[in-house]
Amino acid sequence: MPAANALKVLVVDDQLTMRALVRSGLQQIGVTQIQEAADGEDALRMAVDRPVNLILSDYNMPKLDGLGLLRAVRTYGPTSKVAFIMLTGRADTDLVKRAAQFGVNNYLVKPFTVQGLRGKIEQVFGALT
Amino acid sequence: MNTNRVFQPVATSPGPLQKIHVIQGEYHVASDPNVMLTTVLGSCVSTCLFDPVAGVGGMNHFLLAEQTGRGSEDAMRYGAYAMEMLINGMLKRGARRERFQAKLFGGARMMAGLSDVGADNARFALKFIEDEGIVLTGHSLGGTAARRVEFWPASGRARQRLNAVEEPPPPPIQKAPNKVDLGEVELF
Repeated sequence: MPAANALKVLVVDDQLTMRALVRSGLQQIGVTQIQEAADGEDALRMAVDRPVNLILSDYNMPKLDGLGLLRAVRTYGPTSKVAFIMLTGRADTDLVKRAAQFGVNNYLVKPFTVQGLRGKIEQVFGALT
Repeated sequence: MNTNRVFQPVATSPGPLQKIHVIQGEYHVASDPNVMLTTVLGSCVSTCLFDPVAGVGGMNHFLLAEQTGRGSEDAMRYGAYAMEMLINGMLKRGARRERFQAKLFGGARMMAGLSDVGADNARFALKFIEDEGIVLTGHSLGGTAARRVEFWPASGRARQRLNAVEEPPPPPIQKAPNKVDLGEVELF
């Protein structure tokens, strides 16, 4: 069982408000090591410079969207094994299928609850302590 | 919170006007000059976004659930999602985030005595617009009257009509008479 406070998480979303809400949700389930990026390009740089265990990424973003980030992360050796959860809208079923083809670990439909966030992370890492 | 500004009436565009009603929980984006987006707001809030270069505009209509404590963050996540849907819809039509101009409407207090969910909605919308660095070009928030909002997405013009009268003052309390004549009532 992994400790929540040992997880290093990168939150990627172009909306500051959504990043703050995801950060708050992560903090409520015990995650303390949280980085933020506002687009896929920044996220990729950060994931390479400061390795993380989990990327929680929105899809619609400028420069490099969530799918582009997922593909880049999976094709670059040092980041290829990083867990990746995509934040999607309710109607994004096609996106979920495409993300699955590129090796996404899970997806979380917005607007989400803290319990929903915890559940998706635990499906990837096991129960958090 | 009731800092209203006056919105100028709009000259009619050539061609038949297509009215699209944006109901609670939905949004609509358009660039056709003959389209007018309209909605009726009580304590809900509507954001009208406009990109003057792309000539694209959109309107949403949302209500944060009345919640307290951590539940209020669930409500904010819903609000942020409602705003994101509108923003993404604008971006898909060729608008650019850095050119967004916003007008906010609604957030009235529709029922005295209950918590002011309208003010919560208005506060959220104003904070979202400020935090996201979007230019606020006008707003009409608060008060106690419902609003009908009309927004022309291709030009960014908006106007509102207040639909309801202000809540009337409570009637004066009358002293009860000392003796009540019940008339002839048969009790059994």
